[in-house]
Amino acid sequence: MAGETAVPENTRPRLLRVHAAANCSSDFTAPSISTPYRLDEGYSDETKSQSDKELANLPSDDVMPLPDWLLASSKEDRAEIAYSLLRTLPISSLVAVVDRFAPLLYMDPVVKLPPEITSEIFSYLDPETLLAASLASRAWRGRIIDSSLWRGKYIDEGWRVDIDAIRAFEENHSALSSPYLRKSRLRTSDTDIGEPKQKKRVPQSWLDSRTTGYLGSYGIERQDGHQTSAEADTEGDHLMSDVSNDQSGSASPGQRLLGSNHTWESQTDLARTMLHGHASLSTHTPPKSSILIRMPNGGAKINWLHLYKQRRRLEDNWNRGRLTKFQIPHPEHMAECHQECIYSIQFWGNWLVSGSRDRTVRVWNIDTQRLRYRPLVGHTKSVLCLQFDPRPAEDIIMTGSSDKSVIIWRFSTGEKLREIAPAHYDSVLNLKFDERYLVTCSKDRLIKVWNRRELMAGDKDYPAIHCGSAATYPSYIVDTSQLPSPITEAELAKRNIQSLSPYSLLMTIAGHGAAVNAIQISADEIVSASGDRLIKIWNIRSGLCKKTLVGHEKGIACVQFDGRRIISGSNDDSVRIFDHSSGAEVACMSGHAALVRTVQAGFGDPPGAEEAMKLEALAVDNEFLDARRSDEAVNYGPRALRRAGHYQNTAGSRNPRDIKALGAHIPPGGGGSKWARIVSGSYDEFVQVWKKDRDGTWVIGLSLSHVDSLMEINGEENERPRNSRNAFARRARRARLANQAIGGHHGAAGPATVIPQVQHQHQHAARNQQAPGNDNIEHHQPPSRVFKVQFDARKIICATQDPRIVVWDFADNDDELREASQFFTGL
Amino acid sequence: MSSSTLVFTSSDGVDITVDRDVAERSLLIKNMLEDLGESGEPIPIPNVNEAVLKKVIEWCTHHKNDPPSTGDDDDSRRKTTDIDEWDQKFMQVDQEMLFEIILAANYLDIKGLLDVGCKTVANMIKGKSPEEIRKTFNIQNDFTAEEEDQIRRENEWAEDR
Repeated sequence: MAGETAVPENTRPRLLRVHAAANCSSDFTAPSISTPYRLDEGYSDETKSQSDKELANLPSDDVMPLPDWLLASSKEDRAEIAYSLLRTLPISSLVAVVDRFAPLLYMDPVVKLPPEITSEIFSYLDPETLLAASLASRAWRGRIIDSSLWRGKYIDEGWRVDIDAIRAFEENHSALSSPYLRKSRLRTSDTDIGEPKQKKRVPQSWLDSRTTGYLGSYGIERQDGHQTSAEADTEGDHLMSDVSNDQSGSASPGQRLLGSNHTWESQTDLARTMLHGHASLSTHTPPKSSILIRMPNGGAKINWLHLYKQRRRLEDNWNRGRLTKFQIPHPEHMAECHQECIYSIQFWGNWLVSGSRDRTVRVWNIDTQRLRYRPLVGHTKSVLCLQFDPRPAEDIIMTGSSDKSVIIWRFSTGEKLREIAPAHYDSVLNLKFDERYLVTCSKDRLIKVWNRRELMAGDKDYPAIHCGSAATYPSYIVDTSQLPSPITEAELAKRNIQSLSPYSLLMTIAGHGAAVNAIQISADEIVSASGDRLIKIWNIRSGLCKKTLVGHEKGIACVQFDGRRIISGSNDDSVRIFDHSSGAEVACMSGHAALVRTVQAGFGDPPGAEEAMKLEALAVDNEFLDARRSDEAVNYGPRALRRAGHYQNTAGSRNPRDIKALGAHIPPGGGGSKWARIVSGSYDEFVQVWKKDRDGTWVIGLSLSHVDSLMEINGEENERPRNSRNAFARRARRARLANQAIGGHHGAAGPATVIPQVQHQHQHAARNQQAPGNDNIEHHQPPSRVFKVQFDARKIICATQDPRIVVWDFADNDDELREASQFFTGL
Repeated sequence: MSSSTLVFTSSDGVDITVDRDVAERSLLIKNMLEDLGESGEPIPIPNVNEAVLKKVIEWCTHHKNDPPSTGDDDDSRRKTTDIDEWDQKFMQVDQEMLFEIILAANYLDIKGLLDVGCKTVANMIKGKSPEEIRKTFNIQNDFTAEEEDQIRRENEWAEDR
């Protein structure tokens, strides 16, 4: 009786409904309840039928049977009778009835709703709640450990994966061995074969793979886009010494170019190993962990809950500084080591390429810590910058040098393919290439753009001459706007227009007042950073300057661009973040005590980030304006404040006092997920790993020292004689850092241990006081200035004045982390 | 010309007249009208009873001027469980009605209503302990103490942040 009144709208027509009502008492389910609602949407993640147990239990209610006449009467009548009957009871009995009855008013959504709907509900919940909910009952657990749910969670965190590697792994471990699968396995390194099957809510870009080149306005993984090799800016106080300044260094004799006589694995295996790195992992032994789910047909699918969990553990290691360190080359093979300092490195999968002051370029296997082949010899002075792409379609290394030239090498063989000499009038400080262009910049203050493929006037990548821009174009570049459109072959012939062979100079941009230290390419834009303290954004086809970003107080050494923000490091010791679309400075982070030479940022934008960030930025602006209207203290400009001896906390604070610029499309600090990370390396010898605190303000999460790590790796004493010359500098620097950390009280030098060191929020005056000491110290040339860092999901690799490369590995010797890391890409 | 109202027949045989623009909040109905044309006959809604259908129509009437959801709207949407005030009030119903509305919204393909329903349930779960969740939905704990312990240990990685 009670059951009937509980659900008054249940009348006869729907068999199922009655069934459900009779049964709504608990966690039992009517197995067929969901079926009529289950439209075939081409989607289901139901894992098992829930029937047996529930069927057995079906109408086992301990309610006494009711007379037929009562059941036959109308819903309203029965309700009335029940009410009248209850009225006859004393309160105590009523309470008992209510107690007994109450649970019937509640019902289990996991029983009542089909999996696709509970999956939708769970998609709104945070992982912590979900894990708690998985303890509610077996049925709940079954729905919650669903792999596809966690795939969504993984993506929502802003984490990325190498979807090609996952597919290859699944195929490798599938028991299905049809010839078709074999074939496709061999071809997975071709990007376009077999698009990943994606749930509809996941945009392509979130699951993009490493093997997708520059496509898209912001890359998933910018491994190709980070090396910034900058000569010191032209203010002259931190000039990087260079072979060109020295007398002739000892050119290593006997270093010959490697020809194509080097034998290799088959091209396919090579591609696999190259792209996915760790060859040892692609063997067919089944994994011990729960990384795979075995399908009934023998197929294997990646377990996203496992991936989510491992990624979370890995991020935890970053936050807690749990890592292992090793050096390249392997200590037992020091003969392979560069002979002088390393200005530039880049890694991709398991390959690492380094360029040194010893004029050589070396290619390393990160796993074995060994050289892949003999050093590449070709430059006559320091190798300052490089970029490489190991994919078979590119198979290329490009290097720029103090000898003013650019050399292009074949990655797989080390063969020298081409030399652009001279590319500039002075040292080539940085270079970047994508599928279309090579862009170089130099101490000669110029930026040059070169084509990588043959170009005809009228091609979409052909330069668009723009009068009045800072760019000049060689005479062979035709002003296509003067040509009739479309241009016919005949006209091209008539006008004697030649096609441009690869690596022709397309334009020269003279827009900076000092050496151009670093550049980036993103879509159709070049971002350049110079010793003239400016960052400029150029149209890559016309050379037109689209924007100039002002903020740094000294020359800029490095720059990175992710499509939304521009991150730069400068001789003013700061790292700054600018909003690309408005040019507004959204963060200034002070944590280094000398020139910031290299920086990489990963914001880990989750899906939907753009809109959310715009709204957040707008809210911050409004707060600022409200504060100003209500006469609260706000800043009208950083300069005025600085004159007054004030330093703002602009590392991401939302306090109206700290807001520097309005109109940004990203919030203070630059937005991104809570996992966002910036790694910066400085002439102060430290690598700082920045993370966001709970308020979204950037703080130093971890300080890493190349020098200390090398000593630990080699089991050396802490202050060995080699460093005695610089012991003073190091101590002084640490004291300064400690000073800053405790609020900048003059003279209150802290203890020498500041690692890890957290930067405090309101340390306004700190940097005023460090300026005087600066020059003295830096002239000592400490042995381990950081020239280049790059990080991915699992590790940081660092090159310094020491010819040994250090790797900090946050997988920390954990097998499950190591296994899962092969699928993780950076933020 | 199409008429401005349609008639739905609920699963329990009740005819309900609905404005066409309200009815077309349901993609199922909208597509059906586009594909089959209009017959003038009442449209049977076999999975939804009168009480639920009336609630659904109430929601559609209130939201008839909402912009239509774009095709791939989900892709860039940020997952928030915020629900506007009217919808919150609307969803203050007993659990069975709530689940029935969700099922009806799913069947009739009314994305906005399905979202609100799912968010409402999500909010009932959010931040709760396993015991609180069991209470909320009257769920029997069918784990043994050992099993429960083991799962708790397995879940430890997610703690502390």
